[in-house]
Amino acid sequence: MIELGSQAILIGWLIAAYSIVMALAGAWTRRRDFVASAENGALAVWGAVVVATAVLLHALVTRDFRIEYVAAYSSSTLPIYYTVAALWGGQKGSLLFWALILTSISAVVVLQNRHRHRELMPYVVAVLMTISLFFLSLLFFITPPFEMLAVPAREGRDLNPLLQNYWMTIHPPSLYLGFVGMSVPFAFAMAALATGKLDTTWIRTTRRWTLFAWFFLSLGNLFGALWAYEVLGWGGYWAWDPVENAAFMPWLTGTAFLHSVMIQEKKNMLKVWNMVLIITTFALTIFGTFLTRSGVISSVHSFTQSGLGPFFLWFLAFILVVSIALLILRLPVLRSENELDSLLSRESTFLFNNLILVGIAFAVFWGTMFPVISEAVRGVKITVGPPFFNKVNAPLGLILLFLMGVGPVIAWRRASWAHLKRTFAVPVSTGLVAGIACFVGGIRNYWAIVSFSLIFFVLATITVEFYRGVRARQAMVGDGVFRALTQLVAKNRRRYGGYVVHVGIVMIFVAITGTSAFRIEKQVTLNQGETFEIGGYELRYDGLEERDTLHIAYLMANMAVFDKGVQVDTLKPEKRFYKKPEQPTTEVAVRSTLGSDLYLVLGSYDADTRMATILAYLNPLIGFLYWGGAVLTLGTFIVIWPTRVNVPVAAYSPAAGEATEHRS
Amino acid sequence: MRRLACLALVIAFCVAGVSAAEEPVFSNIEESLTCQCGCGLTVHSCNHLQCPSALPLREEIREQMATGKGTAEILSHFADKYGEKILSSPTTSGFNLTAWVTPFVVVALGMFFVSFTLLRWRRRTPAAPAARSDSPIGAVPGPKSEHQKTLDRELDEFEI
Repeated sequence: MIELGSQAILIGWLIAAYSIVMALAGAWTRRRDFVASAENGALAVWGAVVVATAVLLHALVTRDFRIEYVAAYSSSTLPIYYTVAALWGGQKGSLLFWALILTSISAVVVLQNRHRHRELMPYVVAVLMTISLFFLSLLFFITPPFEMLAVPAREGRDLNPLLQNYWMTIHPPSLYLGFVGMSVPFAFAMAALATGKLDTTWIRTTRRWTLFAWFFLSLGNLFGALWAYEVLGWGGYWAWDPVENAAFMPWLTGTAFLHSVMIQEKKNMLKVWNMVLIITTFALTIFGTFLTRSGVISSVHSFTQSGLGPFFLWFLAFILVVSIALLILRLPVLRSENELDSLLSRESTFLFNNLILVGIAFAVFWGTMFPVISEAVRGVKITVGPPFFNKVNAPLGLILLFLMGVGPVIAWRRASWAHLKRTFAVPVSTGLVAGIACFVGGIRNYWAIVSFSLIFFVLATITVEFYRGVRARQAMVGDGVFRALTQLVAKNRRRYGGYVVHVGIVMIFVAITGTSAFRIEKQVTLNQGETFEIGGYELRYDGLEERDTLHIAYLMANMAVFDKGVQVDTLKPEKRFYKKPEQPTTEVAVRSTLGSDLYLVLGSYDADTRMATILAYLNPLIGFLYWGGAVLTLGTFIVIWPTRVNVPVAAYSPAAGEATEHRS
Repeated sequence: MRRLACLALVIAFCVAGVSAAEEPVFSNIEESLTCQCGCGLTVHSCNHLQCPSALPLREEIREQMATGKGTAEILSHFADKYGEKILSSPTTSGFNLTAWVTPFVVVALGMFFVSFTLLRWRRRTPAAPAARSDSPIGAVPGPKSEHQKTLDRELDEFEI
């Protein structure tokens, strides 16, 4: 059974190599049968990786401690859902899981497009299989997941306790889907460059894939933040750790790409820039994996560290050399006759939006790499921590927020002053009123005032857009408000779904502003029965409580929470003692309301006197992080939902092939 | 020029936030130092109450504050004693200044490049009437006709 796993990886490796050769040979010799064979190869590679993954999952679930990986990342007492999640809990398993997602996506791409884009597909398959071959090579030659122990272990060492959290079951898969999903637009971009078919076909074909990848990357980042918030117990959710940055950078450039492709679709401009953005985004996903696994930069995510760094770096270099060479080769064709009617137009606003997104990505990259640069230049180790990233990114983030209000509503082509006045009168006044209200309300943190003004400005532009749209539909069709609204969104989902995504992002800005400007924290040591006050709540310490299971021993502090003299909750911040491996962890207790989170951490306790030290945080507006994520999800679903295509396609013909990829 | 001035102001604001604050504030100094326990957080954020690094460092901050030193002096004491890596952000002098300035310089250069490109594109774009020379309206030279104005207005309103 176990041999089957390693054999499947070998077979997958061989077929992936075969597919690359056949796809390229098919493209060069124009042999359709070669290409079809390569496409079938891609499906077979997927089958092989599915078998290998199934074997490893089976070994994990049946607790087969003969396998080194199973013994290292699970145990007989590990609950079943974490046992399944242990598939991506360690280096080898996570690479296999990565290969599974990559080959699955490749298979779907082949099935979707094999009859549509016959010119592009050979190169698309070649690119996707090259990436697959890289991961399968790691799995076969460097870190085989089915390595056997010389002496079978009687018990596993268990999954790292920090990973035993429900976010573990969804955060890594989301992030991987986001990272790997970016391979699809990248593969099509490379195919467009290789074939010289540089119109918007590759962009239209991969629009939903890009959104899919972007969406999961957004969720992955958000889930990671919420996980850190619940597990690390320092009251915050984003520490600018190199690995967090690694996931954030491709999100930023991917967001820039999502926006700038609209300009190419509408105006046939920015062809080179879009290529640069997708190459950068894909390269950053590989760079991020390199950061996570190389150990070049110290990070709290040390559980996937290994000696794989150089391989990722070489692969990154290979990708960059090939894609940049192709780009330079096609530069003369890509140079479009760009025309611009006015500096005051959506085109130019989108360019500045791109600039700021890429600028933030650069700032994050620069800050992440600066310790390495400093050591190389001065020979001195330095730290670039959260205060640096917060200070540098705050102004850039606010500019981005401003552009988010302007970009979607300013006119294409040219915006007249009359148009600007009409469009922005209400939003600008709303923003100003919000800023003044903040000041009058006693807020003296100027960053927060500017941020709230801009938040209201953006929300007002979006509201005005919806209002005008609904009014127009009502006037034209005579619908009621609700029907007009749903029809408005249904008829132009890309636009209004995009607005909904923006509302989600604005809500995340609300959470960031609230928590960074108004957080309250307190540290108190209490005897049983003693109370303290934080942000309007009164908390009473009612003693310690203990509980023991086979897997974990718990120690909880009972904290009664009073609001205006009435008990509203009992919070139980915990210390946990995992038995295998023996490791204590801190579990926070949170009371979430719409306005704020009361967040308690049991710092320490005295077993004799039963005194406890409690760290208490009041995180205002953090709920917007969750709800912002939910709204972002809703918006993405509105945008991505398939549109009914009204063009009948009886059989394949070049013209029909074009027609089926009808945009929404 | 105005853009450059704004940028300089932003940079000054950021840098001021780092080095100023004559009156030392305990939590600010905690925030400026990195905990050495491996948590990757600042001394202020590290919540390991028995932390072998954050606890003595906090004690040392209190001692330093008691001597009446200013923030900058206290931070340089820590940097001298434990090495520069204890500071949670790069200093604002020498080579470290590039850490702070480069992102803004890159964005400023980007702004310059984008503005320059946009201007070039606009110059390349034929003047509006010439572009519409095939239309009877566009062919009319001089001030915009009533038709043209109406068309512009309606095109604006169409943008919903």
